[in-house]
Amino acid sequence: MSAELAISVQGLEKAFGRFQALNGLNLQVQRGQVHGFLGPNGAGKSTTIRVLLGLLKADGGDLHVLGKDPWREAVPLHRRLAYVPGDVALWPGMTGGEAIDLLGSLRGGLDEGRRAELIQRFELDPAKRGRQYSKGNRQKVAIVAALASDVELLILDEPTSGLDPLMENVFQEVIGEAKQRGATVLLSSHILAEVETLADRVSIIRDGRIVEEGTLAELRGHTTAAVHATLERNPQPGQLTAFGDVHLDGGKLTAVVESARVGEAMAALTPFGITSLTVEPPSLESLFLRLYDDDTPSTRARP
Amino acid sequence: MSNALTGTGPLLRATLRFDGRSFVPWILIATALSASSVLVYPWVFPTQQDRLGLALAIGSNPALGLIFGPAYDLSTDDGFNAWRSLALGGFLAALGSIFTVTRSSRGQEDSGQAELLASGVLGRSSRLLAGVGLALIGSVALGGVAGVVTSWCGGGWNASLLLGATFAATGWMFAAVAAVTAQLGSDARTANSLAVGTFGALFLLRGFLYSVEAPDWTSWINPLSWMTETRPASGNHWWPLVPAMALTLVLLGIAFLLQSRRDFGQGAIVPGPGPARGRVGTPWSLAVRLNRAPLLTWAVAFMMIGVVFGFFSRSFKDILSGDSAAASVLASGAATPDGLAPAFLVTILSLVGILAAIPGVQILQKVRIEELAGRLEPVLAAAVPRSRYFTANVMLALATPTIYLLLAGAAITALASGDLGIDAGKVLLQAVVTVPAVWTATAVSVAVVGARPQVVIASWAGVFISFVLTLLGPTFRLWDWVLAISPFWHVPNVSVDDGGWSGLAGISAVTAVFLLIGFTGFRRRDLDG
Repeated sequence: MSAELAISVQGLEKAFGRFQALNGLNLQVQRGQVHGFLGPNGAGKSTTIRVLLGLLKADGGDLHVLGKDPWREAVPLHRRLAYVPGDVALWPGMTGGEAIDLLGSLRGGLDEGRRAELIQRFELDPAKRGRQYSKGNRQKVAIVAALASDVELLILDEPTSGLDPLMENVFQEVIGEAKQRGATVLLSSHILAEVETLADRVSIIRDGRIVEEGTLAELRGHTTAAVHATLERNPQPGQLTAFGDVHLDGGKLTAVVESARVGEAMAALTPFGITSLTVEPPSLESLFLRLYDDDTPSTRARP
Repeated sequence: MSNALTGTGPLLRATLRFDGRSFVPWILIATALSASSVLVYPWVFPTQQDRLGLALAIGSNPALGLIFGPAYDLSTDDGFNAWRSLALGGFLAALGSIFTVTRSSRGQEDSGQAELLASGVLGRSSRLLAGVGLALIGSVALGGVAGVVTSWCGGGWNASLLLGATFAATGWMFAAVAAVTAQLGSDARTANSLAVGTFGALFLLRGFLYSVEAPDWTSWINPLSWMTETRPASGNHWWPLVPAMALTLVLLGIAFLLQSRRDFGQGAIVPGPGPARGRVGTPWSLAVRLNRAPLLTWAVAFMMIGVVFGFFSRSFKDILSGDSAAASVLASGAATPDGLAPAFLVTILSLVGILAAIPGVQILQKVRIEELAGRLEPVLAAAVPRSRYFTANVMLALATPTIYLLLAGAAITALASGDLGIDAGKVLLQAVVTVPAVWTATAVSVAVVGARPQVVIASWAGVFISFVLTLLGPTFRLWDWVLAISPFWHVPNVSVDDGGWSGLAGISAVTAVFLLIGFTGFRRRDLDG
């Protein structure tokens, strides 16, 4: 099992005092994939990552990172992974270059060529002191430090917060290259678009447990497409079972349909003579908003 | 109210409410310093003869003059207080003012807080004025509280209030200095260093000029000498406070002029680029690097402490003559007159050792600071075992006090072994056998930071208990089992007995237990922050 899975977590529990931060969390990350880890603020993303790094001790559950127990085998594990924290704190008197070299040599060395290349691509000035960097530049220091070494697993906790769009592009290229080298990436974020372009699979966390998991296509399957059609003949209500939220106004139909049943829905409409038709593509945004929304029960039925 | 000052009132009120408490420790320490003089002096040096002895001892000790300035009249409590507190009280007020002004001007620009404020309805000069206002109010509070409390504790009203006024005036002048340096330096650290450096230079200059009995006019080139020239209890001159006010106003004028001409976030001194490549690559070198500045400062401090205590020890016979309380503390454990010098040496080195434990505790507290700032997380997320990270810091925390104690011990040996009548080798050995007690006091902080960092204040327990029991224990004639709580009580007197080493074994076992608790805790606990 651990041969294919870079991260395997079953029933992870973690409480801080009386606050239950993680509540039976399950997470599987395949080797060589970019895995998006999405969730609203305070859902438990950073806590999960800290447990995966062995910085926090799990209260319960079974977890393996690269086949190792992160609490007991932290050091051999950390040689093979790199981490970018969400809120990068640098030593105020140390330059960015010094911090990169420090973190690199604590991990056991870094690739000189890639270090120079990343500094250039991210347009980072390594001779500035930690206290002089803006938030985005602190983030760049941590990204360069993590990506300059050749590791099997990258754990990135909201790595692009504070980066401008140009730098976000550079970041996405760099992550793509890491993936080509065969690295596994766990990418936590609360921004959907970032994960959409990079991730092979996505897990969505809420209130300390995973509420959705799958490939982007599968997740899209859980969403609904909006259909607008103009029909020659009016159908009877019983004839449109594939649709939800049906509104008929003269010959104009607006309704929603589950992504997986679009074909079936079209077939059901054809007999009534379609004169115009638009099907709005299913958006992850809608799923995302629904899962984030507090009013929606977080335990949604799964296929 | 002109446009440049719009919003100063509400901002100053908010600053007082949220930042005012940072001035409280300075007020408390300065008050304790001044009030304790008039409380303790009559008790330690009750007779005129004792006081004459002290005056002679101080007169023959240039190192004391360098720090405290000249002693004009030690025959009265107020005169003693003026000598002991004037320079140090001014030092406290100046530091409190400098840090307050820098924090609320340059420090806010560093943290980005100022941007929020400056983009609101706020005049260009208001932020600086609010910071300066807080420092001016804080200084007056410091001087007022110290003066009034000292009077209540038995000081004369005129002398005590004048002394308090010199504290306030020093605070004012250096609030103004800091307002200027906050415009010059481009970050809070540079601004603080410039202001504190200015103070340090003037402070040493004053001590030096009085020690070498330079011509009178030299007193007028140094604002700190103006404070000395008020001579509380030996003349009570209030007028030197007038030039201090004038200087404050002139410097503030310069500060506001500079501020109105500079861009937000910029300063006259542009920070140069640092090295693009780093040489720090291990937990040990990281620990040394992060503690570098305080370690160097403390090294200088301990050389000075060694020199001061060395000179002090030379005149120990004058100090210990008579049946004073000082004698009972400093020579506790001496049964015969011949035993006085060795017992005195044990106490002096214990005091140095207790002071040396302070930087050790600070190194451990730095571990906690790093953790809470989120800077420990990336280090431990690299291939660094927790035990190795902690070991590096604990080693540094045990090694530096050792070096400091031996440094000061060497100075005391060089200056005083002849006058004490003890072999140089024995004096040095006495410093060496004090080291295990320093380790015990420091190890308390290892246990606290490792296992229970939530109560990080408790890491001072070792230092505090040792200090109280070593200084107050003998005078209160406490039971031995109480005194034995202090690790320094177990330090053998190498000049007298050779068989007292079992005590060292005992406290070293306690040290080992503290270290074990600390290491076990640090390995097992969650990381905060």
